Amino acid sequence: MSRMATFLRFSSSRVSLISFTLLLDKPPGSSLPLDGLAAALVHIQHRLYQMSLQRTLKAYKFGIVNYLNALKLQERLSGERKAGNIQDTILSLQHPPTYTLGKRRTDHNLLLTESEVQAMGAEVHYTERGGDITFHGPRQAIIYPIISLRAIGFGARKYVEGLESIMIEVASLYGVNAHPGKAGETGVWVGDRKIGAIGVRISSGITSHGLAFNIDPDLNYFKHIVPCGIRDKGVTSLRREAQMQLPEDEVIHDQLIQSFAKTFHFKDMQWSQGGLILPADEIK
Amino acid sequence: MAMASRLMWASRAASYLKISTCPRAFSTVIKDLKYADTHEWVKVDGSSATIGITDHAQDHLGDVVYVELPEVGSSVNQGKNFGAVESVKATSDVISPVSGEVVEVNTELNGSPGLVNASPYEDGWILKVKLSNNGEVNSLMDSEQYSKFCEEEDAKH
Repeated sequence: MSRMATFLRFSSSRVSLISFTLLLDKPPGSSLPLDGLAAALVHIQHRLYQMSLQRTLKAYKFGIVNYLNALKLQERLSGERKAGNIQDTILSLQHPPTYTLGKRRTDHNLLLTESEVQAMGAEVHYTERGGDITFHGPRQAIIYPIISLRAIGFGARKYVEGLESIMIEVASLYGVNAHPGKAGETGVWVGDRKIGAIGVRISSGITSHGLAFNIDPDLNYFKHIVPCGIRDKGVTSLRREAQMQLPEDEVIHDQLIQSFAKTFHFKDMQWSQGGLILPADEIK
Repeated sequence: MAMASRLMWASRAASYLKISTCPRAFSTVIKDLKYADTHEWVKVDGSSATIGITDHAQDHLGDVVYVELPEVGSSVNQGKNFGAVESVKATSDVISPVSGEVVEVNTELNGSPGLVNASPYEDGWILKVKLSNNGEVNSLMDSEQYSKFCEEEDAKH
């Protein structure tokens, strides 16, 4: 039997064997005359399980949302997702001018005092996400996926690589050749200029926060920070790098979401206008 | 539900035969440790225990750049998070596999968080606790069960 197992492992006709075993209907607990096909069966069963999972992605689209309101919404959705009350969800929005810091609280990378920040009409927020200091503002696409990584067996590294590939794919739609950073420089770059940033929180296997992709934000705001703690590297935007005219921001947001759904193997999407899930007094 | 029991039957058969469906690099699993399904390990020594994250966990995290350690004297509870690690711009909760009082934390991780990647079962230990309930360890997986668990998780994608 073990010789047969070895043969199966290296067999090039594994595909036909797999289709053969699909026809079997062995009741559990009975004896196994076909032990040698168990390996193929494990593989098939997992694939069938994946296909049977109704993995639908629910997308909510917003306009400009205050950072704290978006944070409260994510915390609520995250709790609901963890409890299994809602399906995988993704938020698409933009923020008013906001500087944010991650768990490590690297505020030495903010080159202004809080009152100087306020004077320019911006806010500063401390968060539990990974990553260093960054800036969010109008014309920057913000995507916050609230999904279960445990359901798909993904770890942080694979998830973040997926987020990077989404931004790279969308950049390429506009002829921009972007790439992931070197080791330790998570994010998406065009040459040595950063076009997309990532900062994620994974709590009980559920993601929150996500990515920020520069469509055409006011890049002057980045002068007041050491972006992501990396000196000597610039920031850029799709507007600066693309040789072609860009469509409405909403088109690019939608492309990011569709790329996300494809990259993370969702079968279906449901779209909603987000206002419905923010209480009236939270919508700006 | 027939599918679920067939799945169990198939994976039991596969592990009995010690065959895998496709070549993949296996993470190290140490015998004599106990494991949680959130990928933390526990080394029990009487009423004390050392806790860390597994090789599988560190591999899936990427290079760890920061470890948030609990305070000595604080208590941890089985199944509840006690800290976090940061890697690739993502913070991930670390869940305690047992309940007890924190008696020591690995302060080396403040300066060298990469120890979690380089030596997850030895120098990369995270905390030591005085167990409040020795029986809890029985609900954890042994090394064989954990290996199988990892295989099944990795086969999901």
